[in-house]
Amino acid sequence: MKLRFLPLMLLGIAGAAAAQPGPPAATVIAVPPLTSPDGGTKGNQMLQVGWDATQLIVADLKQTAEVMPLTPKRDDYYSYPEVTAPSFSKWRSTGAKVLVTGFVQSRSDGRLTVGCYVYDLEKGRELARKGFVIGPSDWRRAAHKCSGLAYTAITGAPGMFDTEIAYVAQTGIGDARIRRIAIMDSDGYSHRYVTGAGGIVVTPRLAPKGGQLAYVSFAQGEPNVRVLDLGSGHERPLLSGPAMTFAPRYSPDGSRIAFSMMLGSNSDIYVVGSSGGPPQRLTTSPGVDTDPSFSPDGGKIVFESDRSGSQQLYVMNADGTGERRISFGAGWYASPVWSPDGQWIAFTHRGADGRRIGILKADGTGERLLTTGPGDEGPAWAASSREILFQRANTVGRSGLYEVALDGSEPRQMTIPQDGADPDWSGVMD
Amino acid sequence: MRRKLLWIATLGLVASSASAQLPGLRKYTPADRQRQQQQNDQQKAEQSALTGADALRADFAAQSGATTVYFGSDSVILAPQARAFLTAQAAWLRRHPDVPVRVEGYGDSGDTRDHALAVGARRAEATRDFLMLMGVPAAQVSMTSWGKERPGLGRAVTVLVQ
Repeated sequence: MKLRFLPLMLLGIAGAAAAQPGPPAATVIAVPPLTSPDGGTKGNQMLQVGWDATQLIVADLKQTAEVMPLTPKRDDYYSYPEVTAPSFSKWRSTGAKVLVTGFVQSRSDGRLTVGCYVYDLEKGRELARKGFVIGPSDWRRAAHKCSGLAYTAITGAPGMFDTEIAYVAQTGIGDARIRRIAIMDSDGYSHRYVTGAGGIVVTPRLAPKGGQLAYVSFAQGEPNVRVLDLGSGHERPLLSGPAMTFAPRYSPDGSRIAFSMMLGSNSDIYVVGSSGGPPQRLTTSPGVDTDPSFSPDGGKIVFESDRSGSQQLYVMNADGTGERRISFGAGWYASPVWSPDGQWIAFTHRGADGRRIGILKADGTGERLLTTGPGDEGPAWAASSREILFQRANTVGRSGLYEVALDGSEPRQMTIPQDGADPDWSGVMD
Repeated sequence: MRRKLLWIATLGLVASSASAQLPGLRKYTPADRQRQQQQNDQQKAEQSALTGADALRADFAAQSGATTVYFGSDSVILAPQARAFLTAQAAWLRRHPDVPVRVEGYGDSGDTRDHALAVGARRAEATRDFLMLMGVPAAQVSMTSWGKERPGLGRAVTVLVQ
Protein backbone atom coordinates (compact mmCIF):
# COMPACT_ATOMS: atom_id res chain seq x y z
CA MET A 1 0.00 0.00 0.00
CA LYS A 2 2.81 2.29 0.93
CA LEU A 3 4.58 1.54 -2.34
CA ARG A 4 1.53 2.42 -4.36
CA PHE A 5 1.10 5.66 -2.57
CA LEU A 6 4.66 6.84 -3.28
CA PRO A 7 4.32 7.57 -7.03
CA LEU A 8 1.23 9.67 -6.31
CA MET A 9 3.18 11.73 -3.84
CA LEU A 10 5.96 12.21 -6.38
CA LEU A 11 3.44 13.30 -9.00
CA GLY A 12 2.10 15.83 -6.55
CA ILE A 13 5.57 17.30 -6.08
CA ALA A 14 6.19 17.45 -9.83
CA GLY A 15 2.87 19.19 -10.35
CA ALA A 16 3.66 21.80 -7.72
CA ALA A 17 7.02 22.51 -9.36
CA ALA A 18 5.42 22.94 -12.78
CA ALA A 19 2.87 25.40 -11.40
CA GLN A 20 5.62 27.77 -10.28
CA PRO A 21 6.35 30.66 -12.67
CA GLY A 22 9.19 29.95 -15.10
CA PRO A 23 12.41 31.97 -15.20
CA PRO A 24 11.97 35.54 -16.53
CA ALA A 25 12.96 36.15 -20.15
CA ALA A 26 16.62 37.02 -20.72
CA THR A 27 17.56 40.72 -20.65
CA VAL A 28 18.83 41.89 -24.05
CA ILE A 29 22.10 43.81 -23.77
CA ALA A 30 24.03 45.81 -26.39
CA VAL A 31 27.83 45.61 -26.18
CA PRO A 32 29.26 47.82 -28.97
CA PRO A 33 33.06 47.76 -29.41
CA LEU A 34 35.00 49.47 -26.60
CA THR A 35 36.46 52.73 -27.83
CA SER A 36 39.75 54.55 -27.08
CA PRO A 37 40.73 58.16 -26.43
CA ASP A 38 44.14 57.48 -28.01
CA GLY A 39 44.97 58.57 -31.56
CA GLY A 40 47.23 57.33 -34.33
CA THR A 41 48.90 53.90 -34.27
CA LYS A 42 48.47 53.63 -30.50
CA GLY A 43 44.78 54.37 -30.92
CA ASN A 44 44.43 51.57 -33.47
CA GLN A 45 46.20 49.15 -31.13
CA MET A 46 43.88 50.13 -28.26
CA LEU A 47 40.83 49.75 -30.50
CA GLN A 48 42.02 46.24 -31.36
CA VAL A 49 42.37 45.35 -27.65
CA GLY A 50 38.92 46.91 -27.14
CA TRP A 51 37.43 44.74 -29.90
CA ASP A 52 38.97 41.57 -28.45
CA ALA A 53 37.66 42.52 -25.00
CA THR A 54 34.20 43.27 -26.45
CA GLN A 55 33.97 39.82 -28.02
CA LEU A 56 35.00 38.22 -24.74
CA ILE A 57 32.36 40.20 -22.81
CA VAL A 58 29.73 39.05 -25.30
CA ALA A 59 30.93 35.44 -25.04
CA ASP A 60 30.81 35.62 -21.21
CA LEU A 61 27.27 37.01 -21.13
CA LYS A 62 26.07 34.59 -23.79
CA GLN A 63 26.84 31.69 -21.42
CA THR A 64 24.28 32.90 -18.91
CA ALA A 65 20.58 32.15 -18.85
CA GLU A 66 19.64 35.68 -17.69
CA VAL A 67 21.43 37.94 -20.20
CA MET A 68 21.21 37.86 -24.02
CA PRO A 69 23.91 39.99 -25.71
CA LEU A 70 23.36 41.31 -29.22
CA THR A 71 26.08 40.31 -31.69
CA PRO A 72 28.57 43.22 -31.70
CA LYS A 73 29.34 44.98 -34.99
CA ARG A 74 32.84 46.30 -35.43
CA ASP A 75 31.65 49.47 -37.22
CA ASP A 76 29.36 50.46 -34.33
CA TYR A 77 31.96 53.05 -33.36
CA TYR A 78 31.29 55.63 -30.69
CA SER A 79 33.61 58.39 -29.51
CA TYR A 80 35.35 58.59 -26.12
CA PRO A 81 32.96 61.30 -24.73
CA GLU A 82 30.03 59.01 -25.64
CA VAL A 83 31.33 56.42 -23.15
CA THR A 84 29.83 58.47 -20.33
CA ALA A 85 27.14 60.15 -22.42
CA PRO A 86 25.71 57.48 -24.73
CA SER A 87 22.90 58.11 -27.19
CA PHE A 88 20.17 56.18 -25.37
CA SER A 89 17.60 56.41 -28.17
CA LYS A 90 20.06 54.96 -30.72
CA TRP A 91 20.76 51.86 -28.62
CA ARG A 92 17.15 51.53 -27.49
CA SER A 93 16.16 51.14 -31.17
CA THR A 94 18.21 47.92 -31.34
CA GLY A 95 15.81 46.33 -28.88
CA ALA A 96 18.32 46.29 -26.07
CA LYS A 97 17.33 47.09 -22.50
CA VAL A 98 20.87 47.51 -21.19
CA LEU A 99 24.03 48.98 -22.74
CA VAL A 100 27.69 48.42 -21.92
CA THR A 101 30.19 51.07 -23.02
CA GLY A 102 33.86 51.37 -22.22
CA PHE A 103 37.32 52.37 -23.36
CA VAL A 104 40.90 51.16 -23.47
CA GLN A 105 43.60 53.78 -22.93
CA SER A 106 47.37 53.35 -23.04
CA ARG A 107 49.38 54.73 -20.12
CA SER A 108 52.88 56.16 -20.14
CA ASP A 109 54.12 53.24 -17.98
CA GLY A 110 53.08 50.76 -20.68
CA ARG A 111 50.01 49.53 -18.84
CA LEU A 112 46.40 50.03 -19.89
CA THR A 113 43.41 51.72 -18.31
CA VAL A 114 40.14 49.95 -19.03
CA GLY A 115 36.84 51.64 -18.19
CA CYS A 116 33.50 49.87 -18.15
CA TYR A 117 30.01 51.44 -17.84
CA VAL A 118 26.55 49.86 -17.66
CA TYR A 119 23.36 51.77 -18.52
CA ASP A 120 19.63 51.14 -18.19
CA LEU A 121 18.40 52.20 -21.64
CA GLU A 122 14.72 52.46 -20.67
CA LYS A 123 15.36 54.79 -17.75
CA GLY A 124 18.33 56.44 -19.40
CA ARG A 125 20.56 56.19 -16.37
CA GLU A 126 23.86 54.64 -15.34
CA LEU A 127 23.66 51.36 -13.37
CA ALA A 128 27.34 50.72 -12.62
CA ARG A 129 30.88 51.69 -13.58
CA LYS A 130 34.34 50.34 -12.91
CA GLY A 131 37.91 51.14 -14.01
CA PHE A 132 40.97 48.92 -14.01
CA VAL A 133 44.68 49.52 -14.55
CA ILE A 134 46.21 46.36 -15.94
CA GLY A 135 49.28 44.94 -17.65
CA PRO A 136 48.89 44.82 -21.45
CA SER A 137 48.46 41.02 -21.41
CA ASP A 138 45.75 41.08 -18.70
CA TRP A 139 42.96 42.48 -20.88
CA ARG A 140 41.05 39.19 -20.52
CA ARG A 141 40.69 39.69 -16.77
CA ALA A 142 39.47 43.27 -17.31
CA ALA A 143 36.91 42.00 -19.83
CA HIS A 144 35.71 39.31 -17.37
CA LYS A 145 35.40 42.00 -14.67
CA CYS A 146 33.31 44.10 -17.07
CA SER A 147 31.10 41.08 -17.86
CA GLY A 148 30.63 40.56 -14.13
CA LEU A 149 29.74 44.24 -13.63
CA ALA A 150 27.00 44.04 -16.29
CA TYR A 151 25.71 40.66 -15.04
CA THR A 152 25.49 41.88 -11.43
CA ALA A 153 23.80 45.15 -12.49
CA ILE A 154 21.10 43.11 -14.26
CA THR A 155 20.63 40.11 -11.97
CA GLY A 156 21.90 41.27 -8.58
CA ALA A 157 24.02 38.09 -8.41
CA PRO A 158 27.82 38.03 -8.55
CA GLY A 159 29.21 37.16 -11.98
CA MET A 160 31.32 34.05 -12.25
CA PHE A 161 33.47 35.27 -15.14
CA ASP A 162 36.63 36.21 -13.27
CA THR A 163 36.82 32.92 -11.39
CA GLU A 164 39.00 29.84 -11.49
CA ILE A 165 38.19 26.15 -11.76
CA ALA A 166 40.36 23.45 -10.22
CA TYR A 167 39.91 19.80 -11.18
CA VAL A 168 41.73 16.48 -11.47
CA ALA A 169 43.01 16.05 -15.04
CA GLN A 170 43.29 12.39 -16.05
CA THR A 171 45.00 10.58 -18.89
CA GLY A 172 44.92 6.83 -19.46
CA ILE A 173 42.58 4.42 -17.70
CA GLY A 174 42.71 1.94 -14.84
CA ASP A 175 45.79 1.78 -12.65
CA ALA A 176 47.87 3.33 -15.45
CA ARG A 177 45.89 6.54 -15.12
CA ILE A 178 47.98 9.68 -14.59
CA ARG A 179 46.25 12.24 -12.45
CA ARG A 180 47.28 15.84 -11.92
CA ILE A 181 45.47 18.78 -10.40
CA ALA A 182 44.87 21.49 -12.99
CA ILE A 183 43.64 25.06 -12.55
CA MET A 184 42.18 27.21 -15.31
CA ASP A 185 40.16 30.39 -15.73
CA SER A 186 36.44 29.61 -15.84
CA ASP A 187 36.46 30.24 -19.63
CA GLY A 188 39.17 27.60 -20.09
CA TYR A 189 42.13 29.98 -20.50
CA SER A 190 45.39 29.93 -18.48
CA HIS A 191 45.18 26.14 -18.05
CA ARG A 192 48.05 24.89 -15.88
CA TYR A 193 49.01 21.86 -13.79
CA VAL A 194 49.86 22.43 -10.13
CA THR A 195 50.84 18.89 -9.06
CA GLY A 196 53.23 16.40 -10.68
CA ALA A 197 52.33 13.25 -12.58
CA GLY A 198 53.24 10.69 -9.88
CA GLY A 199 50.63 9.18 -7.59
CA ILE A 200 46.94 9.59 -6.99
CA VAL A 201 45.39 12.99 -6.19
CA VAL A 202 41.71 13.77 -5.58
CA THR A 203 39.35 16.55 -4.47
CA PRO A 204 41.16 19.87 -5.10
CA ARG A 205 39.46 22.69 -3.15
CA LEU A 206 40.35 26.30 -3.90
CA ALA A 207 40.52 28.87 -1.13
CA PRO A 208 37.56 31.24 -1.63
CA LYS A 209 39.62 34.06 -3.13
CA GLY A 210 42.22 31.84 -4.78
CA GLY A 211 45.89 31.75 -3.82
CA GLN A 212 45.70 28.48 -1.89
CA LEU A 213 44.56 24.97 -2.68
CA ALA A 214 43.74 22.06 -0.37
CA TYR A 215 43.67 18.58 -1.89
CA VAL A 216 44.11 14.90 -1.05
CA SER A 217 47.26 13.02 -2.02
CA PHE A 218 48.00 9.30 -1.67
CA ALA A 219 51.74 9.90 -2.03
CA GLN A 220 52.41 8.69 1.54
CA GLY A 221 50.45 5.48 0.91
CA GLU A 222 47.27 6.72 2.55
CA PRO A 223 44.96 9.66 1.86
CA ASN A 224 46.29 12.90 3.37
CA VAL A 225 45.03 16.46 2.99
CA ARG A 226 47.79 18.77 1.75
CA VAL A 227 47.74 22.55 1.42
CA LEU A 228 49.47 24.14 -1.57
CA ASP A 229 50.32 27.85 -1.78
CA LEU A 230 49.74 28.60 -5.46
CA GLY A 231 51.96 31.70 -5.48
CA SER A 232 55.12 30.21 -3.97
CA GLY A 233 54.49 26.54 -4.77
CA HIS A 234 55.20 25.75 -1.10
CA GLU A 235 53.27 22.72 0.13
CA ARG A 236 52.60 21.17 3.54
CA PRO A 237 50.42 18.45 5.08
CA LEU A 238 47.29 19.82 6.79
CA LEU A 239 48.11 17.83 9.95
CA SER A 240 51.61 17.04 11.19
CA GLY A 241 51.00 13.49 12.42
CA PRO A 242 50.06 10.38 10.42
CA ALA A 243 46.31 10.05 9.88
CA MET A 244 43.90 9.29 7.06
CA THR A 245 42.46 12.72 6.25
CA PHE A 246 40.27 13.69 3.30
CA ALA A 247 37.30 15.79 2.07
CA PRO A 248 38.83 19.26 2.80
CA ARG A 249 36.73 22.40 2.37
CA TYR A 250 37.61 26.04 3.17
CA SER A 251 35.44 28.30 5.29
CA PRO A 252 34.05 31.27 3.32
CA ASP A 253 36.65 33.65 4.82
CA GLY A 254 39.45 31.17 4.09
CA SER A 255 40.62 31.06 7.72
CA ARG A 256 39.56 27.46 8.47
CA ILE A 257 39.48 24.11 6.71
CA ALA A 258 36.88 21.48 7.61
CA PHE A 259 37.82 17.89 6.73
CA SER A 260 37.28 14.20 7.61
CA MET A 261 39.66 12.07 9.62
CA MET A 262 39.57 8.33 10.28
CA LEU A 263 39.95 7.35 13.92
CA GLY A 264 39.68 3.57 14.07
CA SER A 265 36.72 2.61 11.92
CA ASN A 266 35.06 5.97 12.56
CA SER A 267 35.21 8.90 10.13
CA ASP A 268 34.41 12.19 11.83
CA ILE A 269 34.48 15.85 10.85
CA TYR A 270 37.16 18.16 12.19
CA VAL A 271 38.11 21.78 11.62
CA VAL A 272 41.60 23.33 11.69
CA GLY A 273 43.08 26.77 10.93
CA SER A 274 44.10 26.95 7.27
CA SER A 275 47.59 28.05 8.37
CA GLY A 276 47.90 25.21 10.91
CA GLY A 277 47.20 24.58 14.59
CA PRO A 278 45.46 21.81 16.49
CA PRO A 279 42.34 20.30 14.89
CA GLN A 280 39.00 20.50 16.68
CA ARG A 281 36.60 17.55 16.46
CA LEU A 282 33.04 18.48 15.45
CA THR A 283 31.18 15.15 15.12
CA THR A 284 31.36 12.03 17.27
CA SER A 285 28.78 9.65 15.86
CA PRO A 286 29.88 6.13 14.89
CA GLY A 287 29.94 5.52 11.15
CA VAL A 288 31.05 7.75 8.32
CA ASP A 289 30.62 11.51 8.69
CA THR A 290 32.25 13.27 5.74
CA ASP A 291 32.10 15.96 3.03
CA PRO A 292 31.60 19.05 5.23
CA SER A 293 30.72 22.35 3.53
CA PHE A 294 30.29 25.74 5.23
CA SER A 295 27.29 28.04 4.88
CA PRO A 296 28.29 31.37 3.25
CA ASP A 297 28.22 33.17 6.63
CA GLY A 298 30.55 30.51 8.07
CA GLY A 299 28.12 29.79 10.92
CA LYS A 300 26.87 26.38 9.83
CA ILE A 301 28.23 23.22 8.19
CA VAL A 302 26.31 20.76 6.02
CA PHE A 303 27.75 17.22 5.83
CA GLU A 304 26.81 13.64 5.01
CA SER A 305 26.56 10.82 7.52
CA ASP A 306 25.53 7.16 7.29
CA ARG A 307 24.66 7.05 11.03
CA SER A 308 21.04 6.24 10.16
CA GLY A 309 22.10 3.25 8.04
CA SER A 310 22.30 5.10 4.73
CA GLN A 311 24.05 8.30 3.65
CA GLN A 312 21.92 11.35 4.49
CA LEU A 313 22.53 15.09 4.79
CA TYR A 314 22.83 16.89 8.13
CA VAL A 315 23.32 20.51 9.14
CA MET A 316 25.11 21.58 12.33
CA ASN A 317 26.51 24.78 13.81
CA ALA A 318 30.15 25.40 12.88
CA ASP A 319 31.17 24.44 16.45
CA GLY A 320 29.57 21.00 16.09
CA THR A 321 26.40 21.70 18.11
CA GLY A 322 22.78 21.50 16.96
CA GLU A 323 23.04 18.61 14.45
CA ARG A 324 19.86 17.90 12.52
CA ARG A 325 19.04 15.72 9.54
CA ILE A 326 17.68 17.53 6.45
CA SER A 327 17.28 14.79 3.78
CA PHE A 328 14.56 12.17 4.07
CA GLY A 329 13.91 10.97 0.52
CA ALA A 330 14.53 7.50 -0.89
CA GLY A 331 18.10 6.50 -1.71
CA TRP A 332 21.37 7.98 -0.48
CA TYR A 333 22.40 11.65 -0.27
CA ALA A 334 26.09 12.54 -0.48
CA SER A 335 28.72 15.26 -1.09
CA PRO A 336 26.62 18.30 -0.09
CA VAL A 337 27.85 21.79 -1.03
CA TRP A 338 26.27 25.03 0.20
CA SER A 339 25.59 27.64 -2.52
CA PRO A 340 27.43 30.99 -2.23
CA ASP A 341 24.09 32.84 -1.82
CA GLY A 342 23.03 30.47 0.96
CA GLN A 343 19.77 29.48 -0.75
CA TRP A 344 20.56 25.92 -1.79
CA ILE A 345 22.57 22.84 -0.96
CA ALA A 346 23.72 20.80 -3.96
CA PHE A 347 24.24 17.07 -3.45
CA THR A 348 24.88 13.76 -5.18
CA HIS A 349 21.94 11.36 -5.02
CA ARG A 350 22.63 7.63 -5.15
CA GLY A 351 19.73 5.40 -6.07
CA ALA A 352 18.76 2.43 -8.20
CA ASP A 353 19.12 4.70 -11.26
CA GLY A 354 22.72 5.63 -10.42
CA ARG A 355 24.23 8.88 -9.23
CA ARG A 356 22.53 12.21 -10.00
CA ILE A 357 23.00 15.85 -8.99
CA GLY A 358 20.25 17.57 -7.03
CA ILE A 359 19.53 20.57 -4.83
CA LEU A 360 17.49 21.20 -1.68
CA LYS A 361 17.14 24.03 0.82
CA ALA A 362 18.93 24.02 4.18
CA ASP A 363 15.61 23.27 5.92
CA GLY A 364 15.21 20.17 3.73
CA THR A 365 12.45 21.54 1.49
CA GLY A 366 12.43 22.22 -2.25
CA GLU A 367 14.32 19.07 -3.22
CA ARG A 368 14.90 18.69 -6.97
CA LEU A 369 17.14 16.44 -9.07
CA LEU A 370 18.83 18.39 -11.89
CA THR A 371 20.61 15.65 -13.86
CA THR A 372 19.74 12.19 -15.10
CA GLY A 373 23.01 10.44 -14.26
CA PRO A 374 23.87 7.64 -14.03
CA GLY A 375 27.51 8.53 -13.34
CA ASP A 376 27.25 12.08 -11.95
CA GLU A 377 28.88 13.29 -8.73
CA GLY A 378 30.90 16.04 -7.07
CA PRO A 379 28.77 19.20 -7.49
CA ALA A 380 30.53 22.60 -7.28
CA TRP A 381 28.73 25.95 -7.34
CA ALA A 382 29.40 28.87 -9.66
CA ALA A 383 29.88 32.15 -7.77
CA SER A 384 26.52 33.24 -9.21
CA SER A 385 24.76 30.37 -7.33
CA ARG A 386 22.86 29.75 -10.58
CA GLU A 387 24.97 27.02 -12.12
CA ILE A 388 26.56 23.83 -10.86
CA LEU A 389 29.66 22.17 -12.24
CA PHE A 390 29.95 18.42 -11.72
CA GLN A 391 31.72 15.26 -12.84
CA ARG A 392 30.02 12.81 -15.20
CA ALA A 393 31.59 9.39 -15.79
CA ASN A 394 30.68 7.11 -18.69
CA THR A 395 30.43 3.33 -18.60
CA VAL A 396 34.12 2.71 -19.31
CA GLY A 397 35.24 4.91 -16.44
CA ARG A 398 36.20 8.03 -18.41
CA SER A 399 34.82 11.27 -17.06
CA GLY A 400 34.30 14.88 -18.03
CA LEU A 401 33.17 18.12 -16.43
CA TYR A 402 29.61 19.32 -17.05
CA GLU A 403 27.65 22.46 -16.15
CA VAL A 404 23.97 22.50 -15.35
CA ALA A 405 21.74 25.52 -14.63
CA LEU A 406 19.25 25.42 -11.76
CA ASP A 407 16.36 25.29 -14.24
CA GLY A 408 17.47 21.71 -14.93
CA SER A 409 18.12 22.26 -18.64
CA GLU A 410 20.40 19.81 -20.43
CA PRO A 411 23.94 19.90 -18.93
CA ARG A 412 26.71 21.25 -21.15
CA GLN A 413 30.12 19.60 -21.32
CA MET A 414 33.03 21.89 -20.51
CA THR A 415 35.95 21.80 -22.91
CA ILE A 416 39.11 20.65 -21.15
CA PRO A 417 42.29 19.11 -22.60
CA GLN A 418 41.88 15.66 -20.97
CA ASP A 419 39.38 13.72 -18.92
CA GLY A 420 38.38 15.60 -15.79
CA ALA A 421 37.03 14.81 -12.34
CA ASP A 422 36.38 16.47 -8.96
CA PRO A 423 35.73 20.05 -10.10
CA ASP A 424 35.84 23.00 -7.73
CA TRP A 425 34.86 26.56 -8.64
CA SER A 426 36.39 29.56 -6.87
CA GLY A 427 34.63 32.70 -5.73
CA VAL A 428 35.22 35.97 -7.58
CA MET A 429 38.91 36.93 -7.52
CA ASP A 430 40.00 40.18 -5.88
CA MET B 1 43.19 -18.09 25.90
CA ARG B 2 45.67 -18.83 23.20
CA ARG B 3 44.40 -22.38 22.92
CA LYS B 4 40.88 -21.08 22.49
CA LEU B 5 41.97 -18.68 19.77
CA LEU B 6 43.70 -21.45 17.92
CA TRP B 7 40.63 -23.60 18.24
CA ILE B 8 38.53 -20.88 16.66
CA ALA B 9 41.14 -20.52 13.96
CA THR B 10 40.97 -24.24 13.27
CA LEU B 11 37.23 -24.17 12.95
CA GLY B 12 37.56 -21.35 10.49
CA LEU B 13 39.95 -23.33 8.40
CA VAL B 14 37.75 -26.40 8.27
CA ALA B 15 34.90 -24.23 7.19
CA SER B 16 36.99 -22.75 4.39
CA SER B 17 37.71 -24.19 0.99
CA ALA B 18 39.56 -27.43 0.29
CA SER B 19 42.60 -25.42 -0.72
CA ALA B 20 43.34 -24.69 2.93
CA GLN B 21 45.84 -27.34 3.98
CA LEU B 22 45.56 -28.78 7.42
CA PRO B 23 47.80 -31.78 8.00
CA GLY B 24 46.45 -33.87 10.83
CA LEU B 25 42.89 -32.71 10.73
CA ARG B 26 41.74 -34.86 7.86
CA LYS B 27 41.99 -38.47 7.01
CA TYR B 28 44.12 -38.62 3.89
CA THR B 29 43.57 -41.14 1.16
CA PRO B 30 46.63 -42.20 -0.86
CA ALA B 31 45.36 -40.05 -3.71
CA ASP B 32 45.16 -37.08 -1.35
CA ARG B 33 48.69 -37.69 -0.20
CA GLN B 34 49.91 -37.85 -3.73
CA ARG B 35 48.18 -34.58 -4.59
CA GLN B 36 49.57 -33.04 -1.41
CA GLN B 37 53.05 -34.18 -2.33
CA GLN B 38 52.71 -32.69 -5.80
CA GLN B 39 51.49 -29.41 -4.37
CA ASN B 40 54.32 -29.25 -1.90
CA ASP B 41 56.84 -29.99 -4.62
CA GLN B 42 55.31 -27.33 -6.81
CA GLN B 43 55.40 -24.80 -3.98
CA LYS B 44 58.99 -25.62 -3.21
CA ALA B 45 59.90 -25.23 -6.86
CA GLU B 46 58.13 -21.88 -6.96
CA GLN B 47 59.76 -20.75 -3.76
CA SER B 48 63.20 -21.72 -4.92
CA ALA B 49 62.68 -19.50 -7.95
CA LEU B 50 61.70 -16.58 -5.75
CA THR B 51 63.74 -14.78 -3.16
CA GLY B 52 63.15 -12.46 -0.24
CA ALA B 53 59.82 -10.64 -0.14
CA ASP B 54 58.59 -12.29 -3.34
CA ALA B 55 59.06 -15.76 -1.82
CA LEU B 56 57.30 -14.66 1.36
CA ARG B 57 54.39 -13.23 -0.63
CA ALA B 58 54.04 -16.41 -2.65
CA ASP B 59 54.10 -18.54 0.49
CA PHE B 60 51.64 -16.23 2.26
CA ALA B 61 49.23 -16.42 -0.68
CA ALA B 62 49.55 -20.19 -1.00
CA GLN B 63 49.11 -20.88 2.72
CA SER B 64 46.25 -18.39 3.21
CA GLY B 65 44.16 -19.44 0.23
CA ALA B 66 43.47 -15.79 -0.67
CA THR B 67 45.05 -12.41 -0.07
CA THR B 68 41.86 -10.59 -1.03
CA VAL B 69 38.54 -10.82 0.77
CA TYR B 70 35.29 -9.41 -0.55
CA PHE B 71 32.54 -7.46 1.19
CA GLY B 72 28.90 -7.05 0.32
CA SER B 73 27.77 -3.81 -1.31
CA ASP B 74 28.05 -0.93 1.19
CA SER B 75 28.97 -3.48 3.87
CA VAL B 76 31.89 -3.47 6.29
CA ILE B 77 30.98 -6.88 7.79
CA LEU B 78 33.34 -9.82 7.22
CA ALA B 79 31.51 -12.76 5.67
CA PRO B 80 32.27 -16.33 6.88
CA GLN B 81 34.35 -17.03 3.76
CA ALA B 82 36.38 -13.86 4.38
CA ARG B 83 36.92 -14.81 8.03
CA ALA B 84 38.18 -18.22 6.97
CA PHE B 85 40.81 -16.72 4.67
CA LEU B 86 41.82 -14.16 7.30
CA THR B 87 42.14 -16.90 9.92
CA ALA B 88 44.61 -18.67 7.66
CA GLN B 89 46.41 -15.37 7.06
CA ALA B 90 46.61 -14.80 10.81
CA ALA B 91 48.09 -18.26 11.35
CA TRP B 92 50.79 -17.50 8.78
CA LEU B 93 51.46 -14.08 10.29
CA ARG B 94 51.90 -15.56 13.76
CA ARG B 95 54.50 -17.89 12.30
CA HIS B 96 56.24 -14.91 10.66
CA PRO B 97 56.13 -12.18 13.36
CA ASP B 98 58.98 -10.30 11.67
CA VAL B 99 57.07 -9.80 8.39
CA PRO B 100 55.04 -6.56 8.33
CA VAL B 101 51.86 -6.52 6.26
CA ARG B 102 49.53 -3.83 5.04
CA VAL B 103 45.75 -4.07 4.80
CA GLU B 104 44.36 -2.05 1.90
CA GLY B 105 40.66 -1.30 1.86
CA TYR B 106 38.62 -0.50 -1.24
CA GLY B 107 35.27 1.22 -1.58
CA ASP B 108 32.47 0.52 -4.06
CA SER B 109 32.86 2.02 -7.54
CA GLY B 110 29.22 3.18 -7.50
CA ASP B 111 29.76 5.13 -4.28
CA THR B 112 30.68 8.81 -4.03
CA ARG B 113 34.39 9.55 -3.72
CA ASP B 114 34.81 10.47 -0.06
CA HIS B 115 32.28 7.98 1.30
CA ALA B 116 34.09 5.27 -0.69
CA LEU B 117 37.36 6.34 0.96
CA ALA B 118 35.83 6.05 4.42
CA VAL B 119 34.17 2.71 3.63
CA GLY B 120 37.51 1.37 2.31
CA ALA B 121 39.15 2.49 5.56
CA ARG B 122 36.41 0.80 7.61
CA ARG B 123 36.90 -2.44 5.65
CA ALA B 124 40.64 -2.26 6.28
CA GLU B 125 39.97 -1.61 9.97
CA ALA B 126 37.53 -4.55 10.23
CA THR B 127 40.14 -6.77 8.58
CA ARG B 128 42.96 -5.63 10.85
CA ASP B 129 40.75 -6.00 13.93
CA PHE B 130 40.02 -9.59 12.93
CA LEU B 131 43.71 -10.36 12.40
CA MET B 132 44.46 -8.91 15.85
CA LEU B 133 41.67 -10.99 17.36
CA MET B 134 43.42 -13.97 15.81
CA GLY B 135 46.58 -13.09 17.69
CA VAL B 136 48.51 -10.97 15.19
CA PRO B 137 50.31 -8.07 16.94
CA ALA B 138 48.94 -4.63 16.01
CA ALA B 139 52.42 -3.39 15.18
CA GLN B 140 52.73 -6.01 12.44
CA VAL B 141 49.74 -4.67 10.50
CA SER B 142 49.47 -1.23 8.91
CA MET B 143 46.56 -0.17 6.78
CA THR B 144 45.22 2.28 4.22
CA SER B 145 42.23 2.92 2.01
CA TRP B 146 42.18 3.44 -1.74
CA GLY B 147 38.49 4.29 -1.81
CA LYS B 148 37.38 3.91 -5.41
CA GLU B 149 40.64 5.35 -6.79
CA ARG B 150 42.10 2.07 -8.02
CA PRO B 151 39.47 0.32 -10.08
CA GLY B 152 39.24 -3.39 -10.74
CA LEU B 153 39.35 -4.83 -7.24
CA GLY B 154 35.86 -3.80 -6.21
CA ARG B 155 34.86 -4.48 -2.66
CA ALA B 156 38.10 -5.95 -1.48
CA VAL B 157 40.68 -5.79 1.18
CA THR B 158 44.11 -7.02 0.25
CA VAL B 159 46.70 -8.07 2.74
CA LEU B 160 50.17 -7.66 1.33
CA VAL B 161 53.46 -8.80 2.70
CA GLN B 162 55.67 -5.75 2.52
